[in-house]
Amino acid sequence: MDLGNKIKKYYKEAELYNSHGLLNEALEKYKSIDGLVKSTRNIRNREGILKQIALKIELTSKKLQKLDGVKATPEVAEDAQSLMKEMYTFDDPEAKGSSALGGAIALAKFGQYDKAIEELNRLLEYDKLRLEAAKNILWCWVQQNYTDYAVSLYQKWRKNKLFPPEEVDSIQAYFTELIDSAGGDHEIDELESQRTVEPDSEIDDDEILDISAVRFVLPRGPKEGEKIELEISFQSGKYIRMIIPRKEKDLIDSINPGDLLKEIVFYSPVAIFSGEGYVSSKNEIDAGPKKADYSLEIKIIKIVS
Amino acid sequence: MAVINLKNRQIECKLVFYGPGRSGKTTNLEYIHKAFKKQVAGKMISIDTEGDRTLFFDFLPLGLGKIKGCDVRVQLYTVPGQVKYKATRQLVLKGVDGIVFVADSLAVRREKNMVSLKDLHENLLKMGLSIRKIPLVLQYNKRDLEKQGLPVMSLKKMDHELNRQLKVPSFTASALSGEGVGNTLNQALKLTLQSLQNEFKWAQ
Repeated sequence: MDLGNKIKKYYKEAELYNSHGLLNEALEKYKSIDGLVKSTRNIRNREGILKQIALKIELTSKKLQKLDGVKATPEVAEDAQSLMKEMYTFDDPEAKGSSALGGAIALAKFGQYDKAIEELNRLLEYDKLRLEAAKNILWCWVQQNYTDYAVSLYQKWRKNKLFPPEEVDSIQAYFTELIDSAGGDHEIDELESQRTVEPDSEIDDDEILDISAVRFVLPRGPKEGEKIELEISFQSGKYIRMIIPRKEKDLIDSINPGDLLKEIVFYSPVAIFSGEGYVSSKNEIDAGPKKADYSLEIKIIKIVS
Repeated sequence: MAVINLKNRQIECKLVFYGPGRSGKTTNLEYIHKAFKKQVAGKMISIDTEGDRTLFFDFLPLGLGKIKGCDVRVQLYTVPGQVKYKATRQLVLKGVDGIVFVADSLAVRREKNMVSLKDLHENLLKMGLSIRKIPLVLQYNKRDLEKQGLPVMSLKKMDHELNRQLKVPSFTASALSGEGVGNTLNQALKLTLQSLQNEFKWAQ
């Protein structure tokens, strides 16, 4: 086969692979053509062919990069999550006969962490399901690389005596193993101190701009899922404080210390950026003009963009 | 695991289309959905795809009507084929009763077929199942691409590489046009129902 026909054949193959979504195979063929043309001087329209092939290589590489960057377990629509729950509520020993727990575990396994945590949190109220629900909540946070938060959550549960003594050993053993398998240097040995620790912040105080307002989704309570904006009344580095008027009772009940806010938008006079924060305190103001209003403090733990 | 209610004479079983990414598993289900309208018992659901790639699974429920006195319902699933979705494949395989392995006939996909078959073998083992015992059918898909000038493996070669030890029924197919899809499905259902009969003696 002469060179011209060989190039035509390779090009046709590359285009067909491309149209069938076989991008790696298409890329290989385009590169083969590039190599063939570069190694031969006497080809008509050599520069034009090289230019076209370079463009094809660039476009195909970009498509591949885009696919590689796809999150392996994106959040899916609510009806799709319902299907996952229904279809995958197996007769799983872990589920201990509870379809609600089994469904929530199925969601977690499919990477639908937010929804799974929401449902598992509800199951914490049931004595028979609490231990398994708690284990799976911790698993969900660790899978998302929020191990610090999982530790603080666990400590909060211990502090509030969520588990009866006979279950404490079980969850501690599970959590220790989970953290070990996740790697890192997280310590849960000091749990007996009954202290709720805040997750570490990835940022230094001087990296944070002055913030004038924040917007975030309420994680629980009567206004769960609603977006709210609050003005900052005080800022000290990565700690920001806001005032919630006493009349906003639903709002006050929808956020509590220990909540992790995964998508906060920060407004500063010079930029708008987003990140994550941890509700470090919520206190009723007991004196002065704002008496009976609430002071809410958030620790900024990560800046995303 | 099939749900068999002998009192009400109902069987519900699960058939999974397995195979490497881009081999045509979703295309098989799409054709079944289109061509077997009478048997389709609900809408086909594809949960999230990116660039035509399945990220979670496709689902299609079929109602086969009365067979040997039992009302037979089948749930068809596909797995995401790409290597990185191993955990999801394990999840979709749970409770499987029969498998269609969709192999890609393109010569450039030879290794992907073998890797995927090995992955199936390992995933079944983890569930305490054997690839040699579970009802399994091979489908050599995309045979039509030879006419378009793409190098396609011979059937002898595919059989030698994928089916030499398994010795299960194999079918050629072009899922886009539907050729071979019905035969593959029929055989897979037949083997699955026979296997359930051996285990549960459901047929009258």
